[in-house]
Amino acid sequence: MIPADATPDAWPAARLDQAAGLVFVGEMYGVQVDLLALVLGTSQRRASAVAGRWCDAGSAQAATLGPGPRWVWLTKAGLATSGLPYAPAVPGLSRLAHLRAVTAVRLALAAAPQFAAGGAHWRSERRIRSRIGGRIGLREHVPDAEVHWPDGTALAWAGECWAIEAELTPKTVARTAGIMRELLARTGDYGCRPADVLVPGAPPRHARAVYVCSAAARPVLMKGRALLGDLGARVEIRSLPGSALLPAPGRPAGPADRR
Amino acid sequence: MIRRGLGMIAARAIATAAVRAAATALTLAVAAALTPATLVAAGALAVASRRTWEPRRLFVAAAWCAPMVMVWLAATATGSAGWLGAATAPYHAWPTFWHLVGSGAYLRAAARVAPAAIPLGLAGAGLAWSYRTRTVGAGAGGRSPASSVALDQRQWRNQVRAAKARIAAPGSVPLTMRGDLIAAGAVIRTVGHRAGPLATIGYERMRSHQVVIGTTGTGKTTLLLRLWAAYLATGLRRQAAGCGAAPLIVVLDCKGGASARRVADRYRRLMREAGARSVAVWPDEASLSLWSLPPRKLTTTLVDLIEHGTGSAAYYADVMEALVALAVEAPCGPPTSAADLLARLEPGWLALAYAASGTAADQAMIRSASRQLGDVALRFRTLFRRLGDGLDGPGSFGDAEAWYCILEGTDQIPVAEGQARALVDLLASFAVSGGGEREILLAVDEFSAVSRRLPIFTLYERARSLGLSVQVSAQSWQGLAATQDERYRISAAAEGGIWLLRTPHPEPVAGLAGTRKAIETTRALGRLGGWSRRGSSRLHDEPIVDLGLIRRLDTGQVAYIHGGGVTYVQIKRPVAAPAAVRGPVVAATGAVESLAGAVPAVFVPLPAPAAVPSAVPGMARPPDISPVLDAAFGPEVP
Repeated sequence: MIPADATPDAWPAARLDQAAGLVFVGEMYGVQVDLLALVLGTSQRRASAVAGRWCDAGSAQAATLGPGPRWVWLTKAGLATSGLPYAPAVPGLSRLAHLRAVTAVRLALAAAPQFAAGGAHWRSERRIRSRIGGRIGLREHVPDAEVHWPDGTALAWAGECWAIEAELTPKTVARTAGIMRELLARTGDYGCRPADVLVPGAPPRHARAVYVCSAAARPVLMKGRALLGDLGARVEIRSLPGSALLPAPGRPAGPADRR
Repeated sequence: MIRRGLGMIAARAIATAAVRAAATALTLAVAAALTPATLVAAGALAVASRRTWEPRRLFVAAAWCAPMVMVWLAATATGSAGWLGAATAPYHAWPTFWHLVGSGAYLRAAARVAPAAIPLGLAGAGLAWSYRTRTVGAGAGGRSPASSVALDQRQWRNQVRAAKARIAAPGSVPLTMRGDLIAAGAVIRTVGHRAGPLATIGYERMRSHQVVIGTTGTGKTTLLLRLWAAYLATGLRRQAAGCGAAPLIVVLDCKGGASARRVADRYRRLMREAGARSVAVWPDEASLSLWSLPPRKLTTTLVDLIEHGTGSAAYYADVMEALVALAVEAPCGPPTSAADLLARLEPGWLALAYAASGTAADQAMIRSASRQLGDVALRFRTLFRRLGDGLDGPGSFGDAEAWYCILEGTDQIPVAEGQARALVDLLASFAVSGGGEREILLAVDEFSAVSRRLPIFTLYERARSLGLSVQVSAQSWQGLAATQDERYRISAAAEGGIWLLRTPHPEPVAGLAGTRKAIETTRALGRLGGWSRRGSSRLHDEPIVDLGLIRRLDTGQVAYIHGGGVTYVQIKRPVAAPAAVRGPVVAATGAVESLAGAVPAVFVPLPAPAAVPSAVPGMARPPDISPVLDAAFGPEVP
């Protein structure tokens, strides 16, 4: 587990060069500078400088959107440079906390030694949504991310695909259980033919649903999992890392701020 | 005396005119003094009128200015002016505004007065718009009583334009929405229903009975296709979430012909887009087995398929029923095909079948009725020739998630009536026997073609307990059923609502929506031929549904009547994948895709249902992944 006051050295697997950092930011909709520092394996000041260079090049924009450090997100030119087929958008104010939590979950998972050893791949919600494209308005639940574990490694769960959910606020138990069941029952990829979404007898797409949650959301998730019966064995519930929460106004975001 | 009277009249007219002129001048003076607020109000009124907003929307907009006003007042209070200055700031804003305008600083002037002028203008516009709509609507405002008609028509045109603009953008009207809502299109106008941009109904509403009435070319098929696709998509999503059983849609197109085939192709593509894995078109590509009915039910259905006369013909009907019962409920089991049944309708077969285990009554019946057996067999031979082999199996409704059954009701009415009767009996039997716990929607399109012999209202009344909902559509009120009593029974049981498209005789259906209290105003003619402001108002009951509006509805517009209210909707046309190209058909697996790649060229029955596995296939237990999760997030908190 990565402690909340970890230094960038504690994130060996998450360290990326600046080009990969640009792609990382594009995949995550937007990233706060303190988390970007962890991604790049550098201090927050240097991460700010990198973000500034991206902004000067027209690849990104940065602004203080909420509590804590500035947010960085890619412009249309930045997305094109990164080869990401997404529509440019400023991170929505209502989603800032969630976006930060998902980024923190990704960093924490990427820092686990098994992630690199298993050659795992993080497939972001933005990429999943871009695949869904122009389907007639069917409403289906999209996870916050998928983690794909390739075959051919020594890990027991090699070949699996996990659905990742970062939960900050509790939903109703019935809705939570419904989402869990939908994730676990799904057989087709996102953006597949509607008829392939749920094919009886076919192997499920998500071997697991991994919920990383706040203390407030935990009881509801536990009850929702209990409602699933045997199916609940495929649901994992863990706590959000300390860096997942938005810093309170007027306070530094984390250890990286002090560097 | 006369001169004095005329003088009095003239003096009164002059005084009245003077008072009005003074009032107008005062109003103009106030408006001029409050120019910024007046401009905001005029602009808001223009927008509200153009977009036919409710007055409430302007009040809400004014209320949303509150944070701006609070910040402005707080900034004033924290400055040199203090709290007293903040209290008088709204007043001082106007002299300051005019002072800045006088010195040519227009932008500063606008910025200085904006925090006070914008909410004031919006609230004033809300009041004026509310007064205008209410007085004109009640007949008291406007130049003449006809102003209300003109305003209503203008509002309708604007509302239609706004609704069309809302549905024009791709993706603006999703098929389904959060909360299991089914979106039919954009709202044009509501009466007694909650207003909103999109017209949505709950999934549970679709699980109740519905009636759809509209003449040809009004957009009925488009509406129905949208509702069916949304029902299926929502049902499948609910099933995936464990909130409901698998949906099943059975459409009986009682019109038949080439147009039915075109609709069937569109239906198939749309259902596939909505998530159906298997779509069956009967009888062209799929068949059903009438012989899967329970023996007693099979006997009743077979007898009902034959048209009987009345009076003395009832005797022959009884004889026929007795003989069919003997053939169907024979000790060796029920027949498995039409040929099997015809083979049994012979004295020799029946005598042999009942020789060992039949009762004396059975033997007596066979002996006494043997003379009629030939006639009964002849009638059934004719019936089966007419019905074709679509009901001769194999197959059941459980083989697909969406069925489209084409009945040739235009040129072969008796055949369509028999087929409809058989299909409904099969579906009822499927629902009674469990049907794999399906949430079934039976949609009967062009019901008038088969309404004479399809007692659907009896099914209506017991359908809910079977998990079956019925949606009946017809071109007119008269097409709903043969008698007025049956029409009212069908309509009154439509708990899911009534969709009313353009129709020349909407009165009976509109009457079901009820009335509401409205103000009716009479106005007197003035001396110069104009309408005066004098008159009287009274409360009266006004129909919820505007009959004239229903008759004038354009193609793609529908009135949804439910719960004592009506919502006028601009239907959003559902767009499916491109038409399938008939590809190379048939493979051993049956899973053949068309060349277009989107729709199977042949009907492929669904595989047997399977539960969601608690473990990934091939693994007895899911492997323990806690090492990686512990490393990333720490151990699980109990």
